Amino acid sequence: MLEIKDLHATVGGKTILKGLSLKVETGQVHAIMGPNGSGKSTLSYVLAGRDGYEVTQGSVIYNGEDLLKMKTEERAAKGIFLAMQYPVEIPGVTTMTFLKSALNAQRRTRGESEYDAMSILKLVRAKAKALQVTEDMLKRALNVGFSGGEKKRLEILQMSLFEPKMAILDETDSGLDIDALKLVAEGVNALRSPDRSMLVITHYQRLLDYIVPDRISVLAHGKIVKEGGKELALELEEKGYADIEKVPA
Amino acid sequence: MTAAAQREARRTEALDSFRVRGMPHRRFEHWRYSDLRAVLDAGQVAQAGTAKWQIDKLPDGVELFDLATPEAPDWVMQKLGNVGNRRTMVEASLAFAEGGVALRVPAGRKIAEPIKLQIAGQGNLRWLIVLEKGASARIFEPHTADAGILRNVGVEISMAEGSELQHVRCAPFMPRSFAVELIAVEAAKDAKYRAHFANFGSRLSRTELHIVLGGEGAEAHLSGVTVLGHDGHSDVTTHIEHAAAKTSSTQLFKHVAGGKSRAVYQGKITVREGAVGSDSRQTARALLMSPRAEADLKPELIIFADDVKCAHGATVGDLDAESLFYLRSRGLPEKEARQLLINAFLGEAVAAIGDDALIETIWHDIEAALPRAMESVK
Repeated sequence: MLEIKDLHATVGGKTILKGLSLKVETGQVHAIMGPNGSGKSTLSYVLAGRDGYEVTQGSVIYNGEDLLKMKTEERAAKGIFLAMQYPVEIPGVTTMTFLKSALNAQRRTRGESEYDAMSILKLVRAKAKALQVTEDMLKRALNVGFSGGEKKRLEILQMSLFEPKMAILDETDSGLDIDALKLVAEGVNALRSPDRSMLVITHYQRLLDYIVPDRISVLAHGKIVKEGGKELALELEEKGYADIEKVPA
Repeated sequence: MTAAAQREARRTEALDSFRVRGMPHRRFEHWRYSDLRAVLDAGQVAQAGTAKWQIDKLPDGVELFDLATPEAPDWVMQKLGNVGNRRTMVEASLAFAEGGVALRVPAGRKIAEPIKLQIAGQGNLRWLIVLEKGASARIFEPHTADAGILRNVGVEISMAEGSELQHVRCAPFMPRSFAVELIAVEAAKDAKYRAHFANFGSRLSRTELHIVLGGEGAEAHLSGVTVLGHDGHSDVTTHIEHAAAKTSSTQLFKHVAGGKSRAVYQGKITVREGAVGSDSRQTARALLMSPRAEADLKPELIIFADDVKCAHGATVGDLDAESLFYLRSRGLPEKEARQLLINAFLGEAVAAIGDDALIETIWHDIEAALPRAMESVK
């Protein structure tokens, strides 16, 4: 699905990723764990194609194609989805209008027919229920005045609506209490599928109790320093990142 | 003296006044962003002729008088040339316009259907509306794009106690014309004036409003959108005078400036002595779409009374990069994402119009103007 080789990336002139290599297999949930400042969010932004995140070396191959050559919106249409740590508030655009514009834009780019307003409304409503995204939230301006939990639920609703092939979840657990976390995790688990991969980025092992990964990679100082199965999370929980951070960059 | 003779006398006064003061220019403090004298001389104003007005369908209950007829009725004579300050371009439109229109909404009449007053052609023009006690009306004032070298419109609005007027003015893109419209409003006790100005830029465009809230409880609510591209210019200048107690006003102006355009909003609020309990809120925001576009937002508060509430805020900025990335990461192409964010930025000011049909008309004009504003420049 996704193969990252020797990735170097800079943000504002500062090198954050320093030779990161990672392979995410189709259908797998792959967790990236790491301390603050290790480059987790940078990795997610580089994959989604954010301006200002400059790749200076290395490659990212996504389903046989050079991901780094694609525009941000093209990546989305081809199935890359980034659930953000801090979803942006956009006053003046209602959530429903946004969902409709985004879904239809992706379909247009893929050469598929657009949905009419009624079919989208039905589709969204059907998916919104399980995630407890209310009618009121759909009518309000995008993320404006939403609680942390509401914002994260809306991210997962988008994931469920866009049906991405490669979902990247950046610190989806941050700012959530245990009930909100369970709800979000259930939403994510419902989307696990043999043809969908997920990259779950987290600082804490807590999220991985609910979204159990197939593989775990540990990121420190801009590169992967350790890989293993789901048991690695428990080990990190016990020992912390201290040992790993000692590894010279 | 007959009405015709009185009008002639007033016209002579206006002519003298304009001759003495001449064209407004940048050393007039409130004309500093629109130096009219630098581009146009008084002779051109005098020779511009008379612009045209047209009302296809006058709603029942509204009285109309054609100002081209010399013998005017009392209700016209009392107000024509007497509402508001005698500003130099206002005097010019009075001196040189050979025509115009006056409307009267009699006491207690509520006119639901909008009066569509279309302004066309080159030259000077006057229009006047008198709302008697408790009357209400809506006036939609679209301008056609054939203003020639100059269109100079002088507007007088007289509102008696408890009357209400909604005024929506829409000026198209006129890259070769100078477009000036000066509006004077007097609002008595509990009168409510609502206005929306949509501007799409001219070689020089000035929309100026001066309202005196002269009776307790009078209100003025102004909003507007400006969408500019190329070398477009639009200057919206408002002056709200709170001259009585418990008067309130709001101003909400949003500008989008692309290309090498210039968007100006000057909002002056004066609270006169004795206007206690007055409340005024002003918001002006501009989005710059190109490094060569310019926005000048200038709030001005002059307060002579105690116990008043005045708040203002002005911001000039670019589209939010984070919002843009968010939308693109969801599959919206960059252009579409920008458009969505611009519409969201303007939305609040357009919604202030409050009338669905007019809101749709203004959105239609905005959509036509956006490609110009979004064009890239070198």
